[in-house]
Amino acid sequence: MMRVSLSLILCALLAACSRSPERTLTIAVNAGVEGTALKLAAKEWGASKGVQVEVVELPYANLFEKEQLDLTSKTGAYDVIMLDDPWFPLMLESGSIAPLPHTLDADFVASCVEVCKDPKHPGAQYAVPYVGNSQLFFYRKDLFAKYNLTAPQTWDEVLAAAKKIGAGEKMFGYVMRAAPGNAAVADYMGLLWAFGGDVLDASGNPVCDSPAAIDALKFMLELGKYSPPGYAGFNADEVSAHLLQSTALMSINWPAWIAAMDDASKSKVVGKIDFTPMPSERVHGVGELGTWIVAVPAASKHAADAFDFIFWATDAPQMKQAALRGNPPTRRSVFQSPDLVAKFRAFPAQLASLESARARPRTSHWNEIENTFGIYISKANSGAMDPASAMHAAAAEIARIQQRAK
Amino acid sequence: MKSRIPSGLPWVLPALLILVTLSIYPMIYSVKVSITDASGAFTLANFIRLFQDRLFGAAAVQTTVLTLVALVIEFVLGLALAVLIDSLARARSVFRAGLLVPMLLPPVVAAVAWRLIYNPQFGVLNGTLRRIGVNTAPLTWTSGENSALLSVILVDVWEWTPFLFLLLSAGLQAIPPEPIEAARIDGAGAWRIFRDVTLPLLKPTVLLALLLRAMDLVRIFDQIFILTQGGPGTATETVSLYIYRTAFRFSNFGYAAAMSFVLLAATIVFSRGLMRLMRAR
Amino acid sequence: MKTAFRYILACATLLIALAPVYWLVTISLKREVDQFTYPPEWIGFTTTFQHYASAFRNGSFAHYFTNSVLLAALSTLAALVFGVPAAYGLARFEWPGRWSENIGNWILSTRMLPPIVTIVPLFLMLREARLLNSLFGLAIVYTAFNLPFVVWMMRGFFDEVPREIEEAAMLDGETRVGALLRIVLPLVKPGLAATAVFCLVVAWNEFLFALILTQTESAMTLPVGIASRVTQYEIRWGEMSAAGVVAMLPVLVFATAAQKYLVRGLSLGAVKG
Repeated sequence: MMRVSLSLILCALLAACSRSPERTLTIAVNAGVEGTALKLAAKEWGASKGVQVEVVELPYANLFEKEQLDLTSKTGAYDVIMLDDPWFPLMLESGSIAPLPHTLDADFVASCVEVCKDPKHPGAQYAVPYVGNSQLFFYRKDLFAKYNLTAPQTWDEVLAAAKKIGAGEKMFGYVMRAAPGNAAVADYMGLLWAFGGDVLDASGNPVCDSPAAIDALKFMLELGKYSPPGYAGFNADEVSAHLLQSTALMSINWPAWIAAMDDASKSKVVGKIDFTPMPSERVHGVGELGTWIVAVPAASKHAADAFDFIFWATDAPQMKQAALRGNPPTRRSVFQSPDLVAKFRAFPAQLASLESARARPRTSHWNEIENTFGIYISKANSGAMDPASAMHAAAAEIARIQQRAK
Repeated sequence: MKSRIPSGLPWVLPALLILVTLSIYPMIYSVKVSITDASGAFTLANFIRLFQDRLFGAAAVQTTVLTLVALVIEFVLGLALAVLIDSLARARSVFRAGLLVPMLLPPVVAAVAWRLIYNPQFGVLNGTLRRIGVNTAPLTWTSGENSALLSVILVDVWEWTPFLFLLLSAGLQAIPPEPIEAARIDGAGAWRIFRDVTLPLLKPTVLLALLLRAMDLVRIFDQIFILTQGGPGTATETVSLYIYRTAFRFSNFGYAAAMSFVLLAATIVFSRGLMRLMRAR
Repeated sequence: MKTAFRYILACATLLIALAPVYWLVTISLKREVDQFTYPPEWIGFTTTFQHYASAFRNGSFAHYFTNSVLLAALSTLAALVFGVPAAYGLARFEWPGRWSENIGNWILSTRMLPPIVTIVPLFLMLREARLLNSLFGLAIVYTAFNLPFVVWMMRGFFDEVPREIEEAAMLDGETRVGALLRIVLPLVKPGLAATAVFCLVVAWNEFLFALILTQTESAMTLPVGIASRVTQYEIRWGEMSAAGVVAMLPVLVFATAAQKYLVRGLSLGAVKG
């Protein structure tokens, strides 16, 4: 018994101590569709360069926590981090992201490059955009054609179509997600911007209780009347499920879901869904930008390899390869490449949406703000509060958050 | 020959040193973090914020509700089970072994199983209910703002009632048979015997079990993290989760430290009570 | 009749206790298309071991499993090595005033610390010592968890052994340490085993510290691995439940082995079950 336990201890000691001196690279990616392409690219790059690549896949929230902890305490655990663009301002504040050794070329979509800069010191670039995500509007083109309607250009058209086709086809005219937090904000932003409102003004003060914003929220409630009951608790999978099961007509969604729409094993509407950029209303329609970007922490011990990898993974041929694996690209040339356009019919709409997409407010307190904002939007949608009071309360909370920051 | 240094000290010292380093020192560090601001100056801002923070108040309320409701249900069920299983003539150990399973699982695994079960569209709970004709549309369990806390409490009840069952069962078995016999001879009915003889004799065990469980409920984390991560919104955000979120999602370690001291204070109150109880035995 | 009713009730309760666990097992054995069929299938489905294969052969769960095993073993051993002498010291020696009780209480109270109170400082301490994201570092933290428990439990067991036994041996020329090792420990062997089992289970089930103190798969444990399969949009139910089933087997085995002392362990020695 003693001998067994002693040898166990020795093995553990050896295991803990042995660290092979070969080249290694640790990358942290999102455990989901967004991270898959990068993961595969990393393994290929590692194999070709003789570098041992370790991939850490974590769910969205935990990915942020781990990366942020690593950055603020400078542990150097990760050499390459993949992050959602709203996280970047907070992560940059810790001062531990290494700036890119050279600027990105002009082939990258400008809106994606913008979020790779530090909002406080624009100029230097700190990340390379990898997943070119911006919201699209999904709708059933077959049913629109049946009722002699063209693709909806404005939100009023969306509402009218929801009423007409929904009643005629006995399905939900619209489906959206309004679960408290990120879900509600994601589906509300398109409306907010289309009505000419915004969350914060140029000085960072909340303006989410402006008349335009309240109108947008009221419109959201209108659309809610044609949405499945319980939508005030929906997340992305419920929304997609309704589209895939042909129980809902239209929704806002991310390009990551396009592949599923045409996947016969998951979808009842193969080939019937089409995509347009976000509808307009008082101002031109704007989709929310949700790019995933890759950066190198300053504390990384393998910075040279790290930069080598991310530039390799984001050059045109690799981006094309990633696109074939289902990753929305961030390079214009890839979006316009003929063989890809033939394969992915939504690419032109995606590119248009991406180029005009707007990033969420670039403040380091976005997490807290989105959290609070999302709770109030959800309350308005579930009927717990009326739109005006909800927005006033949200504005007050956001002001308090900004106040604490100073 | 009595030396000034207790002769048992060398035996205890290594353990004490480890504990001081890994428990006391971190606490002192936490205190420091909670009373300094970004530039290193002394500030009570974190504690002041604590009293004004609506979210902390909500988290405290939710933690209290969860603790009390879960405790009461677990106690009543645990006692009923203890009495029931005790009264069986055969197969007692089989039932006991089976009933203990929920408590022995890693909490993460139990939470994962229940997350599967609770899924409103695909989970087996709604599936089975739908099969017997119940309308499951409003039954959103952990995804619904109003039902999430209750759903979490239900999981805790499933997982930890065995704990109370076990302790109360042991307590029941330790009760000497004489007082009960005497009461029966005097002609008292089963319920009166239970209420007036058994329960009072059981009191020390009951208190112990309640206190132990309450202490663990106050700092509950693992299950809620897996089931809802504190959501939807903040519906199931207990103090532990709010502290976690403040520290790791908003990167505000000072405020998180301040809040964790309030949590610690609550735990100390409980543990003081516990010590006194245990000493009394 | 009343007896039959009681047995039925007991069986019903047993079913409620075991059904979720059984369901988890079935999910781990069902093909993906079958996992969410309606009506739900409890028996008679096609079984497949693909999830176990994908989790453990290609996936990282083999890693997580080994880590959990090593961690549990290491921290339990260390806790016993430091805790048993401490318990003996508190139980056997003369202490001024109420020192013995106070030290005992203080040691126990460290077990009551909500983990969230110490986690950030511990993270920073481990970082300084370059023990972050390492089994060693986590083992040290787990040892600190288990120490109070070991001390408290073993002290109770030592108290049950009459002092005369060692005193007789020491009169015969045995040293104090020798008496402990050769005479007293064998007498409390069952209690020692039960204490060890409790430590193993605590280390095996632990989640929060493993979550924060590990950063890459090389150090992550089974609970952390399982939690990381709960993603935002799609949850990898098959892999997750396979891992869950594997995670719960050792605990069930061990707990059954330590059944006799379960009550004492859970009540921190207060109730001698």
